[in-house]
Amino acid sequence: MDRIKIVSALIICMFAALALGLFNHIVLRGRAYRALSKKNSIRLISQAGSRGNILGRSGEIIAGSRLSYDVLLLPQDAGLETPALKELAAVLGIDFQILQRYYVNGYIAPSIPVVIAKNIDVKKAIAVAELKSEFLSILVRATPLRHYPYGKLAAHVLGYVNEIDRWRLTKLEDYGYKTKDIVGFGGVEEKYDYYLRQEEGGLSVEVDHRGKLVRTLGFRQPVNGKDLQLTLDLQLQKITEEKLYGRKGAVIIMHPGSGEILAMASSPDFNPALFVNKDSAAIREIIEDTDSVLTNRAISSAYPPGSIFKVIVAAAALELKKINLSRAFVCAGKVFIGRQEFRCWSIHGRQNLVKAIAHSCNIFFYGTGLLLGGQPIHDYALKFGLSRNTAFELPYEEPGFIPSPLWKRLNRFGRWYPGDTANMSIGQGEILATPLQMSRMIAVFANQGFLVNPYIVKSVAGNELNVNHKKAQSLSLNKDTISYIRRGLRDAVLDPNGTANILSTLKVNVAGKTGTAQAPPGAAHAWFVGFFPFNQPRYVICVFLERGAGGSAAAAVAKQIIDGMQSGGLV
Amino acid sequence: MRGTKTIILGCAGLICLLGILSIYSSTALKEGAFWEIVYRRQILWVCIGILLFFIFAQLNYRRLWDWTYFLYALGVALLLLVYALGVARLGAQRWLRFAWFNFQPSEFAKIIIVIFLSRYFSKKSTSDISLLSGKFGICKGLVVPFIFVAIPVFLIIEQPDLGSGLMLFSLFLAILYLTEVKFRYIFLFLMVIILPAPFFWHVLRDYQKERLMVFLNPNIDPLGAGYTVIQSKIAIGSGGFFGKGWLSGTQSQLHFLPESHTDFIFATFTEEWGLLGSGVLLCLYYFLIRRGFAIAQRTGDYFGRLLAFGITLMLAIQVFINIAMNLGLAPVVGLPLPLMSYGGSSIVVTFIALGILVSIDRRRAVF
Repeated sequence: MDRIKIVSALIICMFAALALGLFNHIVLRGRAYRALSKKNSIRLISQAGSRGNILGRSGEIIAGSRLSYDVLLLPQDAGLETPALKELAAVLGIDFQILQRYYVNGYIAPSIPVVIAKNIDVKKAIAVAELKSEFLSILVRATPLRHYPYGKLAAHVLGYVNEIDRWRLTKLEDYGYKTKDIVGFGGVEEKYDYYLRQEEGGLSVEVDHRGKLVRTLGFRQPVNGKDLQLTLDLQLQKITEEKLYGRKGAVIIMHPGSGEILAMASSPDFNPALFVNKDSAAIREIIEDTDSVLTNRAISSAYPPGSIFKVIVAAAALELKKINLSRAFVCAGKVFIGRQEFRCWSIHGRQNLVKAIAHSCNIFFYGTGLLLGGQPIHDYALKFGLSRNTAFELPYEEPGFIPSPLWKRLNRFGRWYPGDTANMSIGQGEILATPLQMSRMIAVFANQGFLVNPYIVKSVAGNELNVNHKKAQSLSLNKDTISYIRRGLRDAVLDPNGTANILSTLKVNVAGKTGTAQAPPGAAHAWFVGFFPFNQPRYVICVFLERGAGGSAAAAVAKQIIDGMQSGGLV
Repeated sequence: MRGTKTIILGCAGLICLLGILSIYSSTALKEGAFWEIVYRRQILWVCIGILLFFIFAQLNYRRLWDWTYFLYALGVALLLLVYALGVARLGAQRWLRFAWFNFQPSEFAKIIIVIFLSRYFSKKSTSDISLLSGKFGICKGLVVPFIFVAIPVFLIIEQPDLGSGLMLFSLFLAILYLTEVKFRYIFLFLMVIILPAPFFWHVLRDYQKERLMVFLNPNIDPLGAGYTVIQSKIAIGSGGFFGKGWLSGTQSQLHFLPESHTDFIFATFTEEWGLLGSGVLLCLYYFLIRRGFAIAQRTGDYFGRLLAFGITLMLAIQVFINIAMNLGLAPVVGLPLPLMSYGGSSIVVTFIALGILVSIDRRRAVF
């Protein structure tokens, strides 16, 4: 019978279809289904380790961790209506209705504890823990939170911690970062986040379809982050921040030989603890502040250097033998270059190099600059580390800028005029530099000709980083060049008419250079760079005041700081 | 033949054993006194089923010829009784409550309809021993048997049990086809069923409409009606080649898969026994169905022949629809997997049907 054969063939087809379906599900799409099956039944309950500490030079904790106690309630045993909540309300001193609202709103699944009170103090935490004997569903969880024993000291160096943002997450996803991770923003917290970061541990548990816990599958111990030791001298840091307080600007104190940053302050500053406590009003105030509070002015913004740039011009002229000590220019208060009048800030008369540095005479440097020409000045500026990052360890460093004739032709479509060279010789025009670059520049004259590489991290997890730091490189300057300029810098303090004469009253011998950078509109920027003691320098100091009016204002702040160091027994 | 009986009983017994293991596994972590004894009840039902298998194997199946109309009347009466005072469970009214168990008449209606159709189409004329069904007109060949089938099927669909209803309709079609009724009548019947299908859409219950929609795309309602299909596919797909091991299937053990001991027992089984286990299971079913077919083909008596075909097809269609629905290839209709799924009525009826099959095989030599 044909019909029987057809039906029998049909049955074979049916079974073949079933077998194919099975094959498709298990072999072809099995991997996807296995993943789904795991997702169905396995949950992770995380347990945080604590973030690595950030230590000062002698091991003081600047940013550590303290335990914050959260109270949780496990719905699996407690149910939604629970006497435990009433008891908790009494102990915590929070209204029962409010607690219940938190509890109901926070409910996710029976096996996931609900946070009903965050960041309670230790005494209350102990009281709550005592309740645990009565109500098994109450949990007290200790979470490590960032803690700043010194308040906002060195805030810009540290940075702050916060929940990871979208931009960082897309970059860091491949390194195991997840949403809601706490990561560093700015400062060493960001740069060394990979080391500071704790490794999350936790339980992996199996749950059923209602999310009830069935059994524990595994446990991984959380790992604390590595400690980071900075080169910052906290006493010095405190002094600089105090003296800078109320002004806008930055102060850097560096060791001239090694490039260790001993103090780095930027003002206005902020309190990193605000980000830990999630004080949203205060955070918004910080972020919306037009003074860009979060910017580290010591490295993250570049300014025209003004007269302190003259040091580089002087070095270039001496090195290229365009001038020597006997070469002098007569300062009559103004000079014509082309058809344009260039002014000095005073009438100095006959000036040689040493005097010109001491008095910061513009006329001398216009002349010297014109002897040199634009390109050599640009080249020497680059030799002194300007116009590029110093490879410093904090993020968001500005490279600054040095113009050159070629740059002008390519970008401004114009010729380089002698007027441009004159402007450049006194550190005006398009020149931009950061306080850190200027500290590095002046250190060359403190350490006899070496360009140091500044650094701020001493060790990670007890391993000294010295080995990894780039060695200071010699600029191969003539001994005479260095000693002439050192004399000029010293005379700026000693000479009664020297621009930094205010510092001569100090017991320690200071050498330095002030700078007043015109930056219209608004007041000029004030600079002071220097080093002390003169003969065996141990400190390089750079004071920068944004719109601080004049170089003498910066010198005055420097004086206060050195005074503070003296009374603190540091010098 | 003694061999056939052993083979059929062996296959069926093995499938039942795998079924009991899966039922034990899927209910092992469920709390409550009821779940603890589910597998024991299934063992009891299988024992009763095997007993009935032997009784029906001994019985001369020709007696069913005489009992046909009585059985038919009994079946319709039981279905009416369900309609009147059945026990509602899982949103359907399918069960009659007896002393200590619930009894599902629709399962019995399946075998009764097979017996009825076999008898109806094996009438012979007195003058000629050839079959009449080939010469049936449209009235005798289609309308009358359809009315007889439609009455119980309507009662079953009304319970509502769309799965069994559809299964019986396809069984009806298959028997019409095998019994030499003119092909154009079958074609006509199909047209009459299919053309007003859009109208039937409005007759369907809401949950049935939902299930059909979800069958077309399970993701439209992943937490509602589509949940079962998705979880069943996950269970099957995550099994791998060797399976997760007995009592280790996370989908069924942790209750992600609903109905894991009844309609979706195939998914439970596959999760724990893998491609290997389910392949063996499919082979067992195929072997059983082949056996039934072979018995039908070598039986001379036309009543016995149709009965054997009917029983085999009943089994085949149920197995196919159930497994296809586990795999997401067919809509979720409440149809058990014969011999595997938990449920006394289904087990007992399947064993009775297999017993009749053996009985047909034993007596084919008589004619």
